[in-house]
Amino acid sequence: MTKLKTLAYEIRKGWTGYLFIAPGYIAFIAFMLIPLLFAIGLSFYQSSFDISARKFVGFAQYAQLFNDPVFIKTLFNTIKYTLVIVPATVIISMLLALLIDPLGMRAQSFFRGAFYIPGVAGGVVLSVVWLWIFNPTYGLLNFILGIFGIEPQTWLATNPLSFWAVCIVVLTFTVGQPIILFLAGLASIPQDIMDAATVDGANGLQKTFFVRMPLLRPVILFVLATQTIQVFQLWEVIYMLTNGGPFNTSNSLVFLIFQTAFMNAKYGKASAIGVVLLIIILFFTFIQLRLWRDTDV
Amino acid sequence: MSNQQSATKHRALDFETYNQLMSKFAGWMGLLFLIIAAVTFLMPMYWMITGSFKLQTVTMAVPPEFIPTNPTLENWTRLFDGPWPVWRWVVNSIAVSLLTVVLVLAISSLTGYGFGKKKFPGSNTLFFILLSTMFLPSQVMLIPLFLMVRAMHLTDTTLGTYFAMALPMISSPFGVFLIKQFCSTIPDELLDAARIDGASEWRVFTDIVVPLLKPSLAALSIFTFNQAWNFFMWHMIVATDKTQYTIPVGVSYIARTPAFGKAITDIGLSMAGGTFGAFFMIVFFIAFQQYFIRGITFGAVKG
Repeated sequence: MTKLKTLAYEIRKGWTGYLFIAPGYIAFIAFMLIPLLFAIGLSFYQSSFDISARKFVGFAQYAQLFNDPVFIKTLFNTIKYTLVIVPATVIISMLLALLIDPLGMRAQSFFRGAFYIPGVAGGVVLSVVWLWIFNPTYGLLNFILGIFGIEPQTWLATNPLSFWAVCIVVLTFTVGQPIILFLAGLASIPQDIMDAATVDGANGLQKTFFVRMPLLRPVILFVLATQTIQVFQLWEVIYMLTNGGPFNTSNSLVFLIFQTAFMNAKYGKASAIGVVLLIIILFFTFIQLRLWRDTDV
Repeated sequence: MSNQQSATKHRALDFETYNQLMSKFAGWMGLLFLIIAAVTFLMPMYWMITGSFKLQTVTMAVPPEFIPTNPTLENWTRLFDGPWPVWRWVVNSIAVSLLTVVLVLAISSLTGYGFGKKKFPGSNTLFFILLSTMFLPSQVMLIPLFLMVRAMHLTDTTLGTYFAMALPMISSPFGVFLIKQFCSTIPDELLDAARIDGASEWRVFTDIVVPLLKPSLAALSIFTFNQAWNFFMWHMIVATDKTQYTIPVGVSYIARTPAFGKAITDIGLSMAGGTFGAFFMIVFFIAFQQYFIRGITFGAVKG
């Protein structure tokens, strides 16, 4: 009873707190929590353009999904994209950051900007020019490869190549953000640690591998987590370049959601795909949060 | 004994100069590699900009022309005189992004301050629920939000369209998190002193907290502006008419429209559209580079 009374008192005393969070929390409930729950609910209904005529089907749509070769292929593609793009982004951006770090202020900000600008322009704008670069007859890429005696390729219309084409384009604009993060991480390493390593006779490479990189671990984990989530949501480059083709070999889950919901108006089925994506992302986030907690530097 | 010592000393010296030479060489190699990498990463942008000044026959030439020999403005005049309201798209993009920024700033600062500085039962639980949605894929929410926008006929008016396009980003767990983190660094004594001087809770927030939050809010607004600008999927879903497009939707529309009634694209025109679309965000980035970097590094690098 007294506990209840103190709680009531605490609530009354903290009323301004509730008032301050109210606008944000109402927006959060209205535009995030309810839509999320609605989407989960909708995944149990078969529904088309007229949403009021939906039909409850339980888990049937989930069962159908896992018997649907297009979905399975797309699911594996999405994982494949993640396994290729995320490690490549981390390695390339860390390498570039390590090379930028010893430069002077002006050079640092120049290179930081140079690698970040493609990301600012956005995937759609970049895809517009890559459509031309990948063109089999008059594209820049085939011309450059031709100098090295490589036969012209139909980049966007043959099976493994369209997947790799999407990876290349995505990599040109994902590295900018991690480079900035790694540079900030490198700048925060205390000079006396580096001096101690120098006194102990470590050379440049040893300092990088045994001093800098272990100290960057929290940043690496952060980059891994954010990149994984971003790559799982990859779609605009696919939409612009390959339309998921040929035969869905370059499709991704988010593009499949887009096609199912906004091109074919199968809202229920699209929601079911969304829930699967949600579960995968939650799983990955959970693993990475665990990894993160273990490295509290 | 002394002989041996000097020998080791000599060897150590040699080793040091060797090391110095190596690190100098490695430094130059690293710089060379960096320049090659930067050129490679910026090549598409260069190709797009120069492509916008090439005639269709030149864009399809093999071998390609690396520096346009006969630059033409034809693509640009066709872009601005074409059947698409490009300047309207710019206005739409700016309006949607600004509206998103204003709403996100207002909501994040209020809510972030509430969670960061106010003590009330359930605050931890409520904050945890909010934070746990930070990494959720927004595409899952877009279907219900789209059905809502459609049912409420939000796209019937211009203002309604802008609001609809800002809708999924208004509730920003990231923004709340950022402001909360910053608020918890404000010393309580500062706020209590103002309270003792007779300031109301609202005055404490507007006169003490908000001025302190300015650098964080600046970083958050730049970050949000860029995100809202490039929220391509949602803009494309919401827009029902060419006049409602934002820049990225318009650029993709031009690039995907077959040219001359044939199954080929008008490359020069596409490049002009892409350059036009990229221009605004790049100028924005160059102007606010410091804030971009602060927004990115916030919370990721401890200490």
